[in-house]
Amino acid sequence: MKYDLIIIGGGAAGLAALKSAYDPNLNILLVEREKTLGGILKQCIHNGFGIHKYKEELTGPEYAVRGINDVEDLDVDVVTDTTVIDVKKENGQFSVRMTNTVDGDHEREAKAVILGSGCYERTRGAIQLPGTRPAGIMPAGSAQRYLNLEGYMVGKKVFILGSGDIGLIMARRMKLEGADVKGVAEIMPYSNGLTRNIVQCLHDFDIPLYLSHTVSDIRGKSTLEGITINEVDDEFQMIEGTEKHFDVDTLLLSVGLIPDVNMFESLTFDMSRKTNGAIVDQNYQTSVEGLFACGNALHVHDLVDFVSEESEKAGAAAKEYLLKNKRKSDKTIDLEPSNNVGYVLPQKLDMSDEFDKVEVSFRVTTRGDKGVFVVHQGEQEIMTKKARFVMPAEMEKLKIKRELIDTDEPISIRFEVKE
Amino acid sequence: MKYDFIIIGAGVVGASVARELMKYDVTALMIERENDVCNHASLANSAIVHSGHDPVPGSLKAKLNVEGNALYEQLEKEIEIPLLRSGAFMVAQTDEEVETLMNLRDRAKENGVPEYRLLDREEALKQEPNLHPDVKMVLDLPTTKVTYPWEVTLASAENAIDNGLDFKKATEVTGIEKTNEGFKVKTNKGDVFKSRYVINAAGGFSDKIAKMVEKTPEFEITPRRGEYFVIDRHMEGFVDHVLYPTPSSKGKGVLITPQVHGELLIGPNSEFQDDPENVDNTKAGLSFVRKESMRLAHNIPFNKVIRTFTGVRASSTHKDFYISESKEAPNFIHLGGIDSPGLTAAPAIGRYVLEEIIMKKETLLENKDFNPYRKKIHQFHDMSEKEKQEAFRFDPRYGNLICKCEKVTEPDVVHHINRSVPGDTVKGIKKRSRAGAGLCQGGYCEHNVIHLIARETGKKVTEVEYYDEHSNILKGETKVKK
Ligand SMILES: Cc1cc2nc3c(=O)[nH]c(=O)nc-3n(C[C@H](O)[C@H](O)[C@H](O)COP(=O)(O)OP(=O)(O)OC[C@H]3O[C@@H](n4cnc5c(N)ncnc54)[C@H](O)[C@@H]3O)c2cc1C
Ligand SMILES: Cc1cc2nc3c(=O)[nH]c(=O)nc-3n(C[C@H](O)[C@H](O)[C@H](O)COP(=O)(O)OP(=O)(O)OC[C@H]3O[C@@H](n4cnc5c(N)ncnc54)[C@H](O)[C@@H]3O)c2cc1C
Repeated sequence: MKYDLIIIGGGAAGLAALKSAYDPNLNILLVEREKTLGGILKQCIHNGFGIHKYKEELTGPEYAVRGINDVEDLDVDVVTDTTVIDVKKENGQFSVRMTNTVDGDHEREAKAVILGSGCYERTRGAIQLPGTRPAGIMPAGSAQRYLNLEGYMVGKKVFILGSGDIGLIMARRMKLEGADVKGVAEIMPYSNGLTRNIVQCLHDFDIPLYLSHTVSDIRGKSTLEGITINEVDDEFQMIEGTEKHFDVDTLLLSVGLIPDVNMFESLTFDMSRKTNGAIVDQNYQTSVEGLFACGNALHVHDLVDFVSEESEKAGAAAKEYLLKNKRKSDKTIDLEPSNNVGYVLPQKLDMSDEFDKVEVSFRVTTRGDKGVFVVHQGEQEIMTKKARFVMPAEMEKLKIKRELIDTDEPISIRFEVKE
Repeated sequence: MKYDFIIIGAGVVGASVARELMKYDVTALMIERENDVCNHASLANSAIVHSGHDPVPGSLKAKLNVEGNALYEQLEKEIEIPLLRSGAFMVAQTDEEVETLMNLRDRAKENGVPEYRLLDREEALKQEPNLHPDVKMVLDLPTTKVTYPWEVTLASAENAIDNGLDFKKATEVTGIEKTNEGFKVKTNKGDVFKSRYVINAAGGFSDKIAKMVEKTPEFEITPRRGEYFVIDRHMEGFVDHVLYPTPSSKGKGVLITPQVHGELLIGPNSEFQDDPENVDNTKAGLSFVRKESMRLAHNIPFNKVIRTFTGVRASSTHKDFYISESKEAPNFIHLGGIDSPGLTAAPAIGRYVLEEIIMKKETLLENKDFNPYRKKIHQFHDMSEKEKQEAFRFDPRYGNLICKCEKVTEPDVVHHINRSVPGDTVKGIKKRSRAGAGLCQGGYCEHNVIHLIARETGKKVTEVEYYDEHSNILKGETKVKK
């Protein structure tokens, strides 16, 4: 079976991409490995989704249902319970290998592919926590899955390392389920989660947040018995004498998410060391022609609304690629992060493309209540935008007009904090 | 019932001795304290089948290392263990190190290492472009291989069990009584097993076991830890050979070792400690390993570390392997101080115990039914296209992918659960099938594995253990029952 487009993943990203890529003249297949569509949203039973897109506060599953309804009547193929295990590009065609219990290990061909496979959680090994290695230490998202989708508790006395959103949400969730949540430790001097989550998940439940703290010891041979946290200095070195001990049976980790695109072993595309995802142009096209990426598979988002928005653009771009036979050009300009900015996306502008302005997403590396984003091309400052209450946890966006881009030198974005 | 032999400890040494024993017409029981085979030194090491260039000539280590290395070729055929024929480079960077290298070449010759040669800088860099440019000379050791120690132990134990060995896991030997006919071995579970012989293969605890029958054992364990980084298998090909620095008075140094599944191991350091079980990772240890390794190679991809671990060597005051019948308790055989190259030597240790100790005391009859072959579980994604199609036709559940990173399917896991040494814990499955051993470290597959174990063993999901007894991951149901 030959397709024009195969979309990998049926979460918020895949669904939005499918909606905008749809065209009666295109043969499209969406592949999802779980039984039902919706992705990570299914387990996010708290509210706070859709404020930008639908101007209401929905729960994760409600948001997912809207995305599913949008594509329900489209004449496309959607397969669930099917996992993509490899993607290969040969002679201008993609062959997508997938597996399920109906067709076994099989291949489908396509002219274009969109990666909407979401992300996975960083684990203990990646952050090299000291101490013993008992049962009872797990990523917060895994605990969320057990709790919200399967109905099981992973522990009764809980500590959380990392103040990412999932950690904060889980602090409240475990508390509501009757667990004793002893605290959240964050190595940075500020929280990594959205402000509203700090307020609603920690403050409202009197759960202490230990900023500039990290886990310095783990105890227990077969099951977790306790942990120690220490304060850290400006260089993240532990300060002796600041030990605090907690007797817990569970340590949840909320220490970062990584785009999940490594399982497609035959597929090599230019990767960004900063986002751990693909390097893309403004059409979300990767260095491989016809391969697009969006959502958490491209870079980790804090708001699903932005996932949908981005993925609709990626879907539309894939459609144009297929219908108008639009090809990549070499006429590209690099977009780079500069002072106080961690990453910028897209990383490349394809100047052969017609566009009036391009929307750029980026994350800062430092907090600032007041400041300004400065866009440079070469020596030239080409635009500025005032910024308020900026923090690494929240993705920023700005639009650059094409008329401001004069040369083919790289464009960079920096963040100046004003006291 | 009374056994002819009881083996204490199911590491690679205990399992190798057990397999060797079952070639004879005897009854034997292997007792292991942990909830699975292979948990201590045999689990956490460099996985190298050393050539034999290093041990002091004339020592048991030298003899059993070279013999063991050759026996691995046979193990590969008989019990289907993986072997990566990587060869090894020992790297010298200074004139002093070049001199040591020459001495080690002579030692290799004296120990009977079948192949070795010196390479100049240019040749070495041609073969290993990521070597540190300071390399002056390399001792090339082509018979060095890398294996998967876990599989070696499991395969040996399974083969022994399939040939009649009895095995008790999660059972600790707590006392041994000498009797007229042999020994009474007591355990924490309350059983008393009788046996004519006892073989002490308790690794880091072998001196404690020795003290159960001797006043003054001739060896004492001085545990020595080593820490490692594991780098993701997507970096496969960073180096093709095992890289050793030239040893110095400070020790054997930190190695870079390609693994059979494509990962790279960076380590170990070497620090004495009191506790043979303390496998904590330390900041100091890991920074030392990182720093030292950078002397060997350029641009080691430390940003691709997926985990760290620690192994503890059962080094002893005896220095050499202490393999001997007890001076105080006849028919009690010690395998003490089996530190490196214990993994390499294990199959040779098995033979040595039989031929040089037991058979010198009595004649054992051959076990005519002994089947030396053990089939590994051929996992779906290691199969050829044709095999895959056949397997799928036979069992469509092969289409159900359980672990995405290592591509493990439902029947793969189920087969491991139902083997003679059952993989009935989450970590047991990780060790056997690699589900959970990849990039996401079980984040995706753990719940799948828990449900399969529950289904296959008839346990409740809340009873499925992470590894040890009572280490269940799911502690109970939520307030709202589904
Ligand atoms: C705990 C948590 C709390 C959050 N809270 C909020 C919030 O309050 N408000 C908000 O706006 N946003 C929130 N977000 C963020 C937002 O929900 C996510 O960013 C968004 O849902 C991600 O969508 P996605 O489609 O990129 O990824 P996912 O939802 O992860 O979807 C990826 C899909 O791809 C499938 N897949 C992956 N690999 C394969 C493969 N090989 N073959 C087939 N299928 C595959 C997966 O099964 C999955 O269904 C939260 C996220 C989390 C994790
Ligand atoms: C860091 C490191 C790197 C190494 N690298 C290499 C290498 O590259 N190549 C090589 O050849 N060798 C290497 N070695 C050495 C090799 O790993 C060991 O020599 C070998 O694994 C020893 O096996 P064992 O069975 O004696 O010990 P173990 O694997 O420790 O097994 C002993 C078993 O006895 C059990 N036990 C203890 N007390 C009791 C009791 N009371 N009742 C019941 N059971 C009990 C324990 O639970 C344990 O499972 C290395 C070792 C380390 C630590």
